[in-house]
Amino acid sequence: MNIPAPVLSLSHVSRRLSGNTIVEDLSLDVPRGVVLGLLGVNGAGKSTTLRMMVGMLTPSTGTVFVEGRDLASHPQLARRGIGYLPEEPPLHGELTVEEYLRFCARLHGIGRDKVHQAVEQAIARCELGEMRHRLTSLLSKGFRQRVGLAQAIIHEPSLIVLDEPASGLDPIQALRLRELMRSMAKDCAVVLSTHVLSDVLACCDRVAILHRGRLRKTAPLSEIAALESEFVRIASESPSMESAA
Amino acid sequence: MSGFLLIARNDVKRQFVQPFAWVVLALTCALLAWQFLVALDAYLRIVPKLANVPNSQGATDLIAIPLLRSLSGLLMLIVPLATMRSLAGERRNHSLPLLLAAGIGNLRIVLGKFLGAYALVALVVVIALAMPLALHFGTDMDLGRLAAAALGLLLYAGALTAIGIACSAWTSHPALAAAAALVIGSFLAMLDMGARFQGIDNALINWLSLSTHLEPFLFGLVASVDIVYFLLLTTLALLFAGRRLDGLRAHG
Repeated sequence: MNIPAPVLSLSHVSRRLSGNTIVEDLSLDVPRGVVLGLLGVNGAGKSTTLRMMVGMLTPSTGTVFVEGRDLASHPQLARRGIGYLPEEPPLHGELTVEEYLRFCARLHGIGRDKVHQAVEQAIARCELGEMRHRLTSLLSKGFRQRVGLAQAIIHEPSLIVLDEPASGLDPIQALRLRELMRSMAKDCAVVLSTHVLSDVLACCDRVAILHRGRLRKTAPLSEIAALESEFVRIASESPSMESAA
Repeated sequence: MSGFLLIARNDVKRQFVQPFAWVVLALTCALLAWQFLVALDAYLRIVPKLANVPNSQGATDLIAIPLLRSLSGLLMLIVPLATMRSLAGERRNHSLPLLLAAGIGNLRIVLGKFLGAYALVALVVVIALAMPLALHFGTDMDLGRLAAAALGLLLYAGALTAIGIACSAWTSHPALAAAAALVIGSFLAMLDMGARFQGIDNALINWLSLSTHLEPFLFGLVASVDIVYFLLLTTLALLFAGRRLDGLRAHG
């Protein structure tokens, strides 16, 4: 069987800060067409892992590959293929949705002649048509999140990394977001971090459970029959039990 | 368009959709126009007497250069305000990840931020220069000297802007960035005066001062050593800002 090359590959990635290990020896592959849910309690190291995946933070050891390119050796080229939505959408409040997305499109290397089409596509996919002339600072939390998502997908990246994308959204908005993530995953790899089990169950193909900076389990969602009990079991393990494991 | 030009253009746009840039421009223009008109009025009153004095000073010496010297003092206040939010504001608004995660190098981000802030500062310099230049329609202005002063002020403003950007990269609090830029700029500007006060006239400490290198331009002297000083200071400050962004990637 032909196994597709992973879009994202983490090889023995660790991150230490002031003597503390935030992420330890993390290895992970995410192929195209897969939505990976990075599950963990607060402080498990999810956001740090995501920031290393997108090149915002340099790993202390280990290597991150995006489409086979080492993020440390070819940072600018590799980052072009990544769309990133941090926990707080990185908006410019002084600009309208359309102006902001135009800037993002150009920032991600889209040519002047293709910007209009890319902006229209992102606006349509994220259902922002009615808000396109509004200042981003005046949008509700849900629409801010959608604009953040639109900037992450505007250049059609091969890897989309989303940090707690559904936080603060109402149930309807969260449902729409999940549908959007599923549709995006057809052409790329999606990694999303969350501590909400229902997000993982609703839209992920694989799940990776992170606890105290270590990858404790990674498997297709179908193979984790009782995800909730597995997550609770790992999350409640004491450090001594972890070292024994 | 290159990444840094894109960032610069976006920053200019963001500045001018807010009242801040307009208020700075309006206040600066009002203050300089007032000084300009007062100096012009005084000049017009003494002009008949000056006509009888051989080698007397003209409008360039009595109106234009004092105005531009005042501008250099004003820039010390304006530049920290124009640069304080460049990077500190991005960090505070959580929008820096947009730039850091895009395929643009740290130095290009810094250069874009520098050009974005410098556009406003340079506009202030250009508006100030337009006032004495307007006198050229009625009297003979020393255009060569004005051109030298303009070059000096633009280089001086560039160095102050780069210092402001470096301070803005250093902290996530815009007010702290502005205060730090004001302190560093004032310190560099007053080094020469302080040294002279202590009787030190021609030492390294005098050479390090911003004013030591601005004054020759205001007298119409364009020396390569002064140009190199301002370019070196600008480059060092921008490199510091770039290193700070490297540090943010390395240490979070």
